[in-house]
Formats: sequence, structure tokens, C-alpha cells
Amino acid sequence: MKRRNFLILGSLLGISSPLIGKSSREFGKSLKEVEKTIRSVQQHLFPEGSKLPSARSMNTTQFLLETVSHPTFDKDIRAFVIEGAKELEIREKGQFSSLSSEEKERALRSYEKTNYGSNWLSRIMILSMEGILSDPVYGSNIKEAGWKALGSYGGRPRPTTRYIEL
Amino acid sequence: MKYDAVIVGSGASGGAVAYTLCKAGYKVAVLEKGRLIKRDEFSKDELAYCRRDIVTPNLFDEYHTIEEKVDGEWVTTPTYESGWSFWNGNIVGGSSNLMSGMLHRMHPDDFRLKSKYGKIEGANVADWPIGYEELEPYYTLAEELIGISGKYEKHPFEPPRSTPDFPQPPTKENDVVKLIDKSCKALDIVPLVTPRAVLSQDKGHRNACYYSNFCGSYGCSSGAKGSSREALLKPALATGNLTLMSNTYVKYLHAGKKDEVEYAVVVDTITGKEKKIFAKMFVVAAQAHESARLLLNSANEHHPHGLANSSGELGKNLIFSAGGSGQGELHQESLKEIKFEDLMKTGLFVNRSIMDWYFIDDWWDGKFKGGSVEFMFEHQNIISRALKHNNEEGRLVWGKALGQKLVKQFTGQKNIRFEIFNDWLPNDDCFVSLDETHKDKYGMPVGKLRLGAHPHDLEVGKYIAKKCEKVLEEMGAENIYSSVSSVPPQNLIAGGCRFGNDPKTSVLNKYCQAHDLPNLFVADASFMPTGGSVPYTWTIYANALRVGEYIAKALRQRK
Repeated sequence: MKRRNFLILGSLLGISSPLIGKSSREFGKSLKEVEKTIRSVQQHLFPEGSKLPSARSMNTTQFLLETVSHPTFDKDIRAFVIEGAKELEIREKGQFSSLSSEEKERALRSYEKTNYGSNWLSRIMILSMEGILSDPVYGSNIKEAGWKALGSYGGRPRPTTRYIEL
Repeated sequence: MKYDAVIVGSGASGGAVAYTLCKAGYKVAVLEKGRLIKRDEFSKDELAYCRRDIVTPNLFDEYHTIEEKVDGEWVTTPTYESGWSFWNGNIVGGSSNLMSGMLHRMHPDDFRLKSKYGKIEGANVADWPIGYEELEPYYTLAEELIGISGKYEKHPFEPPRSTPDFPQPPTKENDVVKLIDKSCKALDIVPLVTPRAVLSQDKGHRNACYYSNFCGSYGCSSGAKGSSREALLKPALATGNLTLMSNTYVKYLHAGKKDEVEYAVVVDTITGKEKKIFAKMFVVAAQAHESARLLLNSANEHHPHGLANSSGELGKNLIFSAGGSGQGELHQESLKEIKFEDLMKTGLFVNRSIMDWYFIDDWWDGKFKGGSVEFMFEHQNIISRALKHNNEEGRLVWGKALGQKLVKQFTGQKNIRFEIFNDWLPNDDCFVSLDETHKDKYGMPVGKLRLGAHPHDLEVGKYIAKKCEKVLEEMGAENIYSSVSSVPPQNLIAGGCRFGNDPKTSVLNKYCQAHDLPNLFVADASFMPTGGSVPYTWTIYANALRVGEYIAKALRQRK
């Protein structure tokens, strides 16, 4: 299946063409609007008290925002990250972030039952894990806490700049 | 300025030709689309190298279109839609920077597959116009120049050597090889030490391997890996005869006459400025599918179907490495023979191959060409390993359950894998042509790859996979599975410019010189009519050294 179709399958909104056409700076604004939702989802997926470091302690939301805003990042997926968060809020009447932990679990498991929601949650999971388990130069995996939790460490030499910007 | 030779591409074959010509005193320009990343600029950054398009083009800028058969119909999908990239390391030194370096020579019978096994219906198998004995001296030369470490052991399917052993001993090995050896012996299988393009000892300007644990998919920070950049381009630059032009995209070659290429039309990928580069000889080494595409894109009134295509064979008989892979889990509680802490030691290699099934001649199974097997640990990349284990029964695992699952996975077991390499039979449904509508950001038609596989490839792969699963069972591995499919590995690609003695049925002659244009050569894996049942890299290095020597001779004669 073609990726764009795969991403939007089952969406209430569909990926809106104006969003696809936006520059990374304009994306910054759209991202800001969904930041709170994404933060809440990440904190639910990676909570405090787990054997893995939490999303909150690893700055995973900042990592996600910087990652999808990078010029090398796939523009379709960038749009999908934003639209998926909007869709979750539509489903939860704009209240997702203020739900209790049990209600969030119910909301996300229900969202996961749709193809679209399942793809979006997978993407948020990927973008969170990439932060927690990538080199600390990217601003997450602080003090290598993600690597320590799994007893697996990145190879040497470590990167000194992000995305080998020479 | 008119160079003695212009080489398009700086990977294994481009580097080998450049090295040979520069050492012989000829002025060479190597044109490389990608940028130069020097040894001390490489790092083990999983995010950059393995999860983003940092060393390959952005698929929205440059891509391929892929034709696959769906419900009996050929369906075309651009790779920017599928995300299935067919680029392999577009930096100086090409994908040789990123290889794992498991290298084998082809067997003498691989050069005469049709004579030995006869015609297979639906496959275009052809004998090579040269034999193993003609390539052997160059396999040996490549072994020395690239620095292939290993240990020769006699085996009925190991090709003969002109030197007694490898120039360097094997790299250090994880204790798991003891378990593999013992298990193979129990099954009457002979495990062999894998020759590896990684130095176990210092060699000139290159330092020995420092066992970083992140080798394949990454550039090497000690120079131990035998990449074209370290082993060939650096010494070529030291001669003062090489002009290395990175960030240089070749649009097409211009042949204003029927029998001569005059110049390459190139674009500076930073400034967008276009210019012509003149030379006496032109060597295309852009990786099989891209080399054919460049020659097709060079069509003009003298060569209406593309350069070197009077046979109509250009782009045809593209091949990959067929086979598949499998995996099993070695758990702490059930591990036998070796200590768990030794199994978990990182950085050391699993240098083991099996060649016992390279040729099958069995009273029950019959007589057919088989393949080779490599053992390795699951790639050590942390993010990708973690992402493999974040779902259960179709649902994502998250929260505390995810933490528990991943910690158990990472600290209580290690996964051992095998990879099978068998022949991808060349056939009429596997070729590269030009897409009629899609163009890259430089305005050139993109390559359209039709990816049809012969069913025989799958049968061979499955036959070997079953035997490999038995080895994993004997090792005490759990949850063993294997996957053999006709989906091609995009990093093991060859063919498209077959060499042969007959200009009516082949693109190149036995020296990889175009039948139609004496000053045009194709040095990469495009020339291969069949690919053998081992990774191509050593053969690419060896053949390009042979081709380089022939071009040097031709240049001497021109003088």
C-alpha cells in the first residue's frame, strides 16, 4: 500500500494538503498547537516508576519537536504527527491531557483500534524511543539513562554534533 | 583539462580502478555524487546513520520506481511512497564504508553455471567469458590491498588459492563461535572462519579494529574496515594523480561520435552549476542499477537506445542475492557450553560461515546449486532492537510493561542469526529501465526497477534455511524462525550490463569494455551474468583491479 494512503487510512480529517505544503517554520506553529497533547501521550507511554526512564525526565517532547522540525525529516510523517494528535483531541473533545491515567489508557487503547490511531501511536512510540535510546547529543537520553536501563551503550566514537553536521 | 580517465562513482569498483590507474601514473578524476566524510568525522550515531537519510539522498529528491507483481499485475510504486530506498551509501567510498565485510571468493564452478547445471526454464543463466583462474590473481591482490583477515581451511567448496593463507589472522571472536563449532560438528557440518574485510593488525596508515560493536551500517573510525576510501582512494590521492570531485552528480555521458565518449555532463550538487569533464577513457561505477540508468540517460542521435546498447541488453538481467535469514534466542538460563557473561561481551565478531551446501548432490534431494551461510549476532543497534519488541498480539506495549519487557530482552538473552546467500537466477522480469514520467531533482529520468524472482531461488533458500535451523536447535536456541522470500536485498545488486564474447547478447566484452564504444567501461557489479552464492564485494574489488589494469594497458597503447 502506498505510504500516504496507509497513513491516512481511517482518518476523520485525512492529511490536509495545506499542511503538506507548509515550510518547516510554519510547521513550528502547528506543532506548538499539539505539543500539550503529544507530551501527555508520551508521558503515558513512558511513565514514572518504570524500568525505563520516563518521558518527562528524558525531555522526549522537546526531542520529538526538534526531530520532526529538522529539514531532513520526512514531510509526510511530520504532517501525520500533527494531524494524529489533532484527531485524538477530536475524539476526546479536547480534554485528553486532563484525563486521569485510567481514562487516558482507555482513550489510547480505543484510538489504537483504528488503523489510523494505531499507526499514529506507533509513530509517537518510535519518536520517543529514538530520543530515550539515541546519543545524548540529541538532548534526550540524559546522562545515558536509557542506555543504562538496558545495559546497552552506543559505540565509540560518539557523535559530537547532531546528524553529522560537518 | 582532459583527464586520462574519468570514473563515475567512488565505491569498491571506482576506487579499485582509480587506484590502479593513479599508481600507473595516469591522471584520473573520480566523480562522486555524495560528500566526503573523513575517518575522524565518522561516529556511531544510530539516529543519523541508520534511521535518517544522512548518507543517502532524500527520497523526495532522488528515488526509483519499483515494479512488483500484485495479483498477477505489475504495479509501480515510487520509493518516496514506499520508503524502500535503493540507495546504498552515497558518500566518498560508497557503500563499502558501511559494509559488514564478510567476504568470499566465488567458486570456479560459479563461472560456468550453465555448463555445469544446464538450462533452467525461465532463467537466463549464462557462463562467464572468463574463468576463475583469470580472476584469481586479482582476488589475491584485493586480499592484500583491502586487508582481508581470515584463516584458510581446506574444504571441498573453498576455491583454490595462489597463496597459502590470508595476510592477517582473523579478528577476535565472541565465545559463541565455540558453541557454533561444537553444534556444527555434532551435525557433521564443517564451520569455516569467515574472511572479513576488517584488519586485525595495523596496516600502513590504517589501524587495527578496535571492536566498537557497531561495524555494519557505520563508517570505521580506525581505518580497519577495507573501504574503497581507506584502502584505495587514500593511496591513490597520495600519488598526486587523483582529482576527487565529491558533490558531483553526473547527468549523462556525451558521445558525439558513434564510437567515442567525449565528456561527462555534471552538476555541482551544492551550487547547481553544470559543467563538462573531458577524458580519454570513461569508467562507470555507480552501482549496478544506477550505472545502467546513466547509460540509458546518455542516449542521443548516435545511440538512440542508450550508450553501449546495440544489443538491447542494457539494464536487462539485473540480479540480487537471493536467500533469506533466520534467528534464534540464546537464553541465560538454558545456555550450554559457554558462559553467559562471555556471550554478552560486545564488539567481538562471529566469524563463522558454512559452505557445505554450496553445491548439493544428494541421493534424495538431487543435484543443484545451493548457497553459503553466515552467522552473526542480531545487529547491535539499540533503538531498532528495542522497537522490535514493543508489541504483543498486534497491540503496542507501553508503560511499565514495556520497561519490563525490554530490560528482560536486552539483559537476559542474545539473538543469534544466520543469513543465506544463494543465486538470484537472472530472468526476463528483473531489469532496470527509465521511468517515462518520474524525474529526479536534476531533471533526469529515474531508474525503474522491475523485481521479478525465479521460484527456484526460493526453493534453494528454504532448503538451506531448514538446515540452518537445525544448527540453531543444536546450539540450544529458542524461538527459532527463518524467513526466505523473493524480496530482493537492495544492497546486494548486480547485473544489467552483462559481459560476454558476443556483442549481440552482451553489453560489455570480457574486459568490461563496451562492445560499442572502446573508451567506455563499466567496472561495478553490472558485468556479472550470474552472481555466485556469496556477497559480491570481493569479486567487485578483484574484477575492478583487473579492469583497471586493462585500461592502463589501453592508455599506454594510445600513447
